[in-house]
Amino acid sequence: MTTSTDVEVTPATRELVLDLHRRMVRIRRFEESSGKLVETGEMPGFLHLYVGQEAVAAGVMSVLTDADQITSTHRGHGHAIAKGAEFRPMFAELYAKTTGYCKGRGGSMHIVDTSRGMLGANAIVGGGIPIAIGAAFASQYRDDGTVAVSFFGDGATNIGAFHESVNMAAVWNLPCIFVIENNGYAEFTSQERHMKLTDIAERASSYGIPGVIVDGMDALAVRQVALEAVERAKRGEGPTLIEAKTYRFFDHQGIKGMRIPYRDAAEVEAWKSRDAIRLIETIGVERGLATAEEFAAIWAEVEADIQDGIDFARTSPDPDPADILDDVYTA
Amino acid sequence: MTTRELTYVKAFNEGMHQIMAEDPDVFLIGEDVAGYGGVFHMFDGLLDEFGERRVKDTPIAEQAIIGLGVGAAARGLRPVCDLMFMDFVGVAMDQIFNQAAKMKYMFGGAVSVPLTITTAGGAGMSAAAQHSQSLEAWLAHVPGLKVALPATPHDAKGLIVGAIRDDNPTIVVLQKKMLGVKGPVPEELYSIPFGQATIAREGSDATIVAIARMLPEALKAADALAADGISVEVIDPRTVQPLDTDTIVTSVRKTNRVLIVHEAVQFGGIGAEISAQVQEQAFDYLDAPVARLAAPFAPVPYAPVLENAYVPDAARIEQAVRRLLERG
Amino acid sequence: MAIEIRLPKLGLTMEEGTVDEWLLEDGAVVTVGTPLLRLATDKIDVDVEAEGDGVLHRAVPSGTTLAPGAVLGWLLAAGEVPPTGVVVTGASAAVPVDIVEEVSVITTMPAPDDVAVTSANGRAFVSPNARRVAGELGVDLGTVRGTGPGGRILSEDVEEAAAAAPAATVAGRVASPLARRDAREAGIDPTSIPTTTGIVSRSDIRAAASSPQATAAAAVVVPVTASAAAAGQETASIIPMKGMRGTIAARMQQSLTEMAQLTHGFEVCMDAVVALRAEMKEQYAALGVPVPSLNDFVVRAAALALRQHPILNATIVDREIHLLRHIHMGLAVAVPGGLMVPVIRDADLLSLPELARTTRDLAERCREGTITLDELEGGTFAVTSLGTYGVDMFTPVVNPGNVGILGVGRLRDSGRWDDDAWVRTQVLTLSLTFDHRAVDGAPAAEYLQTIAELLARPLVLVS
Repeated sequence: MTTSTDVEVTPATRELVLDLHRRMVRIRRFEESSGKLVETGEMPGFLHLYVGQEAVAAGVMSVLTDADQITSTHRGHGHAIAKGAEFRPMFAELYAKTTGYCKGRGGSMHIVDTSRGMLGANAIVGGGIPIAIGAAFASQYRDDGTVAVSFFGDGATNIGAFHESVNMAAVWNLPCIFVIENNGYAEFTSQERHMKLTDIAERASSYGIPGVIVDGMDALAVRQVALEAVERAKRGEGPTLIEAKTYRFFDHQGIKGMRIPYRDAAEVEAWKSRDAIRLIETIGVERGLATAEEFAAIWAEVEADIQDGIDFARTSPDPDPADILDDVYTA
Repeated sequence: MTTRELTYVKAFNEGMHQIMAEDPDVFLIGEDVAGYGGVFHMFDGLLDEFGERRVKDTPIAEQAIIGLGVGAAARGLRPVCDLMFMDFVGVAMDQIFNQAAKMKYMFGGAVSVPLTITTAGGAGMSAAAQHSQSLEAWLAHVPGLKVALPATPHDAKGLIVGAIRDDNPTIVVLQKKMLGVKGPVPEELYSIPFGQATIAREGSDATIVAIARMLPEALKAADALAADGISVEVIDPRTVQPLDTDTIVTSVRKTNRVLIVHEAVQFGGIGAEISAQVQEQAFDYLDAPVARLAAPFAPVPYAPVLENAYVPDAARIEQAVRRLLERG
Repeated sequence: MAIEIRLPKLGLTMEEGTVDEWLLEDGAVVTVGTPLLRLATDKIDVDVEAEGDGVLHRAVPSGTTLAPGAVLGWLLAAGEVPPTGVVVTGASAAVPVDIVEEVSVITTMPAPDDVAVTSANGRAFVSPNARRVAGELGVDLGTVRGTGPGGRILSEDVEEAAAAAPAATVAGRVASPLARRDAREAGIDPTSIPTTTGIVSRSDIRAAASSPQATAAAAVVVPVTASAAAAGQETASIIPMKGMRGTIAARMQQSLTEMAQLTHGFEVCMDAVVALRAEMKEQYAALGVPVPSLNDFVVRAAALALRQHPILNATIVDREIHLLRHIHMGLAVAVPGGLMVPVIRDADLLSLPELARTTRDLAERCREGTITLDELEGGTFAVTSLGTYGVDMFTPVVNPGNVGILGVGRLRDSGRWDDDAWVRTQVLTLSLTFDHRAVDGAPAAEYLQTIAELLARPLVLVS
C-alpha cells in the first residue's frame, strides 16, 4: 500500500491548474445553488451534495477521456460535472423537466451522460461498482484502450457487491479503477463505528491488488495517483484501489440536512480550512502558474453558466403523464 | 431446413452455439460454465468453440456476475450471465431489479441493457428448499424485465436466441426436470418472439394455461380426459413477461372454463395475475370461477413423497378439470 | 442378509440407465469393489461395483433399462435364498394411493360445498356466461334449474332450457316464456290449460287464473306434432334454433300471440326528398360529407311524427297504455344468420346528418358483431326497410313491448294526374303494423299522413 506522500507529484502546468480549478468551481457552485433551490422548495426531491470533495472528482477525471466510463453514487453531481456534464440538462433534470439528462425520469440520483462516459449515478449503495467492472470488461473484450472508474464512499466498501466486484476485477485483470472517497461517514455513522480499519486501502491486499492512499483535498495529488492507476490498467495489470481522504462540508443530504448535529464543529472547520479550491488557487499563485484575476474570472464564468442553467430549467416543459410508459422497454 | 429430435438441453446448447457464432458481441459468464459446460451441461462445447475471451468461469459472486453483465450491456455488448439455480436470483437481486430493469427508464432512454440471464428452476429432483424454486412471478412483476419459460426443446432454443437478440434485460428459466425431454428442433438458427403463446392442443370444453414443466403434465391430462370425451385446450404462454393475454382470453371465451397450473406457490404466483386478467376480460363468458392448481404455501420439501404431493401433476390436473366441468 | 445391488444415480438429471452387460455369472463369489455389471446412460458408461461380499444373484437380464434406485440383483450369503419381493422400480417409488386423497388439502379450487344453493335473501347463483347466454336466447333464468356446484346455473343449463320443450308441457303444447312465467306466478300448471291451437297464451293463463273450474273441463286438444315426421318427409339438414335464431323465434311468436296486430299500407310521394338529395349530393360532395339516404329521411320523418302521435310511441303494461317520454328508434339490420334491432336513442333530437351517421355506425357494428347488449335494448318504436329487396308492402311484426313498427318499401316509378297531364313521380309504400289494443285504425292512418306531409316538405327534416 502506498500513500500520496510516497508518490512523486509531477510538476503542475498552468493549463492543468486552471482546468482542475474550473472543474472544482463548477461542482462547488452547482452544488451550492441546487442545494438552495431544494431548501426553498423550488426543486423537488432531495440532494446529496458533493461540496468539499471536489478535488477527487476533478483530479481523477482530468486523466480520463469521454470514452472512459465512470459509475457513481447517490452523491453523483460532482462526478458528472467533472466528467463534462453541462449545467442546462443537469438543472433541468433536477427540476424534473423533459430537457433534463433523464427527461425528468431519474432525478438527482440517476443523472447520466453517456456522451461523456458517465454511466449513471446510483441510489443503491454499492450498486454502481459491479456495473463499473462490466464497463471495464467491455473495454478489455474490445481491447479499445479505455478504462472504467468506480466512485463510492467508505460506507460502500462494507457491502457485498464491493467485495465481489473488486475480487472479480482483480482475478480477471479488468481495467477498472476503484476510487474510495473516504469522507469519514457512512450516512450518519462515523468510520470507526462501521469498520475496524482506518485506512481502507489496506483492503486491497485481500484481493491481491495495489492500494493507494491520497490526500483527497489535493487535486494535483489525486490526479497523479489516478494517472498511475489508469496506466497500470491500460498495461493490462488490472485494478487499483485508491482511497482519497476527503470530507463533505454539508450534511449527508441537503445543506443543513437533518439538522441533527452528529459531527463535531471543530472537525468540520478543520477540514474546511483545507478547502481544495483555495488550495489550488494558492498553489497556482505561489508557483506563478496563474493569477488571482484568472481564478476570479473562472468563478464569474461559472456563475453566469449557473444562472443560464437555472433559467433554462425553469422555462423548460414538464413531462406529460401520457408518456408514463415510454422507455420501460427498448423497442 | 430439416427438423430432428433433440433433447431440451441439447436444443438450448445448439441455440447458444449458433447465436454466439453469429454475433461476436455475445459472451457467456457464470459459475462452472466454461470448463465444466455448466452443471446441467447447457453450455457444453462453448469454451472449445469460442475460447476464453468469450466463455468465462467466474468466482462465486452473483452480484458481480450480473452487475458485470449490466455494465457490459450498457456499453453495447450482449452478455449471457448464468445463475446456476433460480434460487440464487436473490443474491443478485439488486443488480437485476434495481439496476438492469430500471436503467432504460430512469435514464430517460439514454441507456439500453441487452442482458440475458440464464438460470434453472423447478422442483422434482429432491434438491430441497433452496435449489427447487420457481420464482418467475417475482421477476414478471418488475417493469423493464422480460421472462421466458420454455417448455419444449423447440422453445428452449428459440427463446434463448430471442432473449439474446432482445435489447432488454431478459431472464430465461430452463426447467431442470425437462432437460432430457426430446422434441422436434429445426436445424437452423431461429428465434421466438416474446409475448406469443402457443396453443399446444385445441379443445372446446375447458382451457388449461400451463406454465413451464406443467405443459407436458397438462397434455397428459388432456389425453386422459379425451378418452372420456372431454375436449381440453392447452395453452403454453412461453413468456410470462410480456404475457399473451389475448390468446388466453380468446380461448376462455370459447370454452367458458379455465384452469391455470404452475409449479410455483399458488399465493401471488403468476396464476393470480392471469386469473385477474381473465376475469377482467372474459367475465361474462365464465361458467365457473377461474381455477388455479399450484404448489401449497410452503417451501419445497425434500422427501420425495412430500415433493410429489407438492408439485402438480397430470392426475391432479385431470381431477381439477373434471371439477371445473362437474354438473349434478 | 442379502445386499441389494441398486442402479446408481450418476448425475442430477439422470432419468434412467441400461444394464449393458453383466460382467459375472449368477453364483459368482465377489468381494467389495468387484465390478458386477456395465451400466450405460445417455452420457457415459460405468461399471457398477459390489458394495459388499457375497454370492451374486442377478435379478434382471442384460439390456434392461430402469430408473436410478432400481434393484438389479443381490449379493447373498452362502446358502441364502434370494428375496422374492417385487423389484422396486426406482427412487421415485409409486406414490401411495392415499396421497391422492390429500389433494383436496393442497389444491385450492373452491369446494362445491362452500357455495350455498341460494342465500337467505333468495339470491340465485348464476354464472356470468349463463346470464349472457340467457340474454341472447331470451330465457328467463327463473325457469332454469342449475346443475353447477351448489346449484349454480351454467350456460349449458340455459341452452338446454331454451332448446328443450318447456318443462311444464307435454308434447304438442307450447307456451311462451312470459306465459310460463304468468302460469308460475298464478300457481297454474300450463299443461292443464285447454287449447285448440296447441299454443297456451297469456290470455289463456289469465282466463284460467280467473276461472279455475274451466281448467277441469276436458277440452279438445289438437296434438301439434313437434317434428315433421310425417311419412315422406326426410330431413336433409338441421339448423338448431339456438342463439340469435332462437331469440328471433321466441320473440316473434310472443309478439304475434300477445298483440292484436294489423297493417296499413300507404303510398308516399318522394319527389321532394329525391330532389333535395340530388341538390345535397352536389354540395356535400365538395365537402366530402356523405349524403343522408332515403331511409334516413324516412326514419327522421317517422321520429318527428311520433311527437305528434304519441299513442304510437307507447308500451302496454298489464292493462295500461304507457305513453313514453323518449323516442328511441329501433332499426332492423339484417346480419348473417338473422336480424338485429339496434336502437337510436332520442332519435327525434338528432339532426339528419347525426341520424345518418348513427345509423351507419350501428349497422356496421351489428354486422361486425361488436354491438353491445345495451344498444339492442330500450327501443320504443322501430323502422324496418325491405326496399332494397324490391318489396313494396309487407306486414312487419311489432317488437315485443312496442305498439308499432314502420316498414319501408322500395322507391318506384309511378305517376299522377296533374290536371290533364300524367306526371311522373317516385313513390314508396309505408307499411305500418300497429297493436290494435292500444292504437285504432284512424290514429294509425293519421300518423302515416303526418309522415307523408313531412316527406313532402323535406327541408323541415334537414334542419
